[in-house]
Amino acid sequence: MHVKPKLTLTSALTAVGLTASIATAQDFSGQTLIVGTWGGDIERLLKEHAAAPLEEKTGAKVEFLLGGSGDRMAKIYAERQNPTMDVTFQNIYEAPQLLADDLVVAPDPELDIYETVWDGMNDGCYAMSLVGLGIAYSKDLVPEPPEWADMWKPEYNGMIAMAPYPSSEGDGLLGVAARLEGADEHDADVAFAKVAELGEPALTYTSLDEVFALMEAGEVAMAPMISGYVLAGLKEFPGIGFSFPTDPGPVLIRDMVCQVKNSPNPELAQMFIEYALSAETQKAYAEEIYFGPTNSTVKLSESAAADTINSPEEVESLLALDWPWLIEQRADWTERWNKDIMGQ
Amino acid sequence: MSIWSQPPGSLILDPTPTMENYVRIAGDGYYIRGLLRTLWLSLSTTAIAALLALPLSWWIVLRAGRFRGLMLTLVLIPMVCGALLPTLGLMNLLGPLGVINGTLKSLGLIDRSWKMLGNQTGILIGLVHAFLPLMVLPLVSALDRLPADVESAAMSLGANRRKVWRRVILPLAAPGLIAGSALVFCAALTSFVTPLILGQGKVATFATMAYQQASLVLDWPFASALAVVMLVILALIGAGAWGAQRWAADTP
Repeated sequence: MHVKPKLTLTSALTAVGLTASIATAQDFSGQTLIVGTWGGDIERLLKEHAAAPLEEKTGAKVEFLLGGSGDRMAKIYAERQNPTMDVTFQNIYEAPQLLADDLVVAPDPELDIYETVWDGMNDGCYAMSLVGLGIAYSKDLVPEPPEWADMWKPEYNGMIAMAPYPSSEGDGLLGVAARLEGADEHDADVAFAKVAELGEPALTYTSLDEVFALMEAGEVAMAPMISGYVLAGLKEFPGIGFSFPTDPGPVLIRDMVCQVKNSPNPELAQMFIEYALSAETQKAYAEEIYFGPTNSTVKLSESAAADTINSPEEVESLLALDWPWLIEQRADWTERWNKDIMGQ
Repeated sequence: MSIWSQPPGSLILDPTPTMENYVRIAGDGYYIRGLLRTLWLSLSTTAIAALLALPLSWWIVLRAGRFRGLMLTLVLIPMVCGALLPTLGLMNLLGPLGVINGTLKSLGLIDRSWKMLGNQTGILIGLVHAFLPLMVLPLVSALDRLPADVESAAMSLGANRRKVWRRVILPLAAPGLIAGSALVFCAALTSFVTPLILGQGKVATFATMAYQQASLVLDWPFASALAVVMLVILALIGAGAWGAQRWAADTP
């Protein structure tokens, strides 16, 4: 087998490369790396585990630009002649779109960080964290951790809360609904008809607290939600549970970290991404906000392991949707969602 | 930008002029319905605001006396708070776990929440609350110019209260009413935060549709086309209000 020695050689070369970039560290003082990401816990974790060590090592400054990933998409397209952002965090369907439009640097299979990530996940950009679309439920109204099909029971009609569309939550629910009918997301008619059977959503939520308060009050029974934040938030709501369904499994959703093409600080950007994907940062994500590590070498505490997607079997059980195809349907499906699901 | 497009599978703009965005707006009942819904909401807001503002302004000008400054300040407060805070406050009042539903429930009058959010009721309450000052201020300044004894003068000539309002106060307040209506209508038409939050994604107005296209679907050319349609409507209303003002000024 000549695959093995080649791999070792690449790793050795990368190691040399890394050492070299650390050796020339002083050259970066006075430069500012711009990183676009979400505010709150994510910003805090990235500051502690990626920005701080990078600043210490290189003398450069890291500045965070906070907001939603859609805002960052708009910025990247608007500035594509002259980008100002170096690193950006995007979601599972935006990253392949950015790569298709040639606005981000394609993940490099020669790099160590590429290899530590679970196979097949560096789609468009590097995979940063793994979460699954499961079901948050009121323990009062739903006695057992529900399966997807339970959402369609007549007693819960009109008592399901949903995220605004377009969103990974919405696409995930459509994909699940189609599978319950023996089809998949490519059959839009089946998917929309099935979701419409849930009745008008009890609430279109923009914040988790909104849903949890209504669940505790018995007005909302279940809501398809993304693990991670939800699991972290639930620790304060004993009456609410979170179920990872098995038939089909939770819908795989992942955050991606991208290096913007032709950005002002490419070396710093790559180093930042290396820190973000390091076992240490990934472990902090998992232990503090229950975002599953994409780095397959991370070892988690028992409690974090129970609430995150972190083993090969769990990764295997997740339902993977055809995101590149879904993103092409976005405009049509948004109209359809507005009409068929929201009844406008 | 509204005559540009995005090639399939890409978000990069293609600047070849095309009318496809406008064809889509005109050809799909969904957008026309949204436009009509938005116009209807704005019209209702204007009517309700006028009904509330007329007696209020009249009272402030003729009866409030030394409380006049205080009353005007109270009326103005929602305007200087911005759109977001009052709307979030209204959510706490109107929501299923809000003050109103909570009171009704504890009095035993209802057992499941009365839905005021996620429908036109909530949005109307929010819009009237937000834009009432835009109606009150022009009315106050119009009524202010009336001599203080115009009401008693009319009554001394044999007019009853209704007649005084219909024949004297309303015609004299007309310029203020027209200006206020145009302001409230345009503000309601373009209002975005209120329908988005109080409508909870269930009531689509033209502004929330444009937001969805621009920020979530990332179809910027189509969002621009929606915005242009709104701009044209605003221009028409502006021209209409100007014409009406001239007419009111010319009519003795």
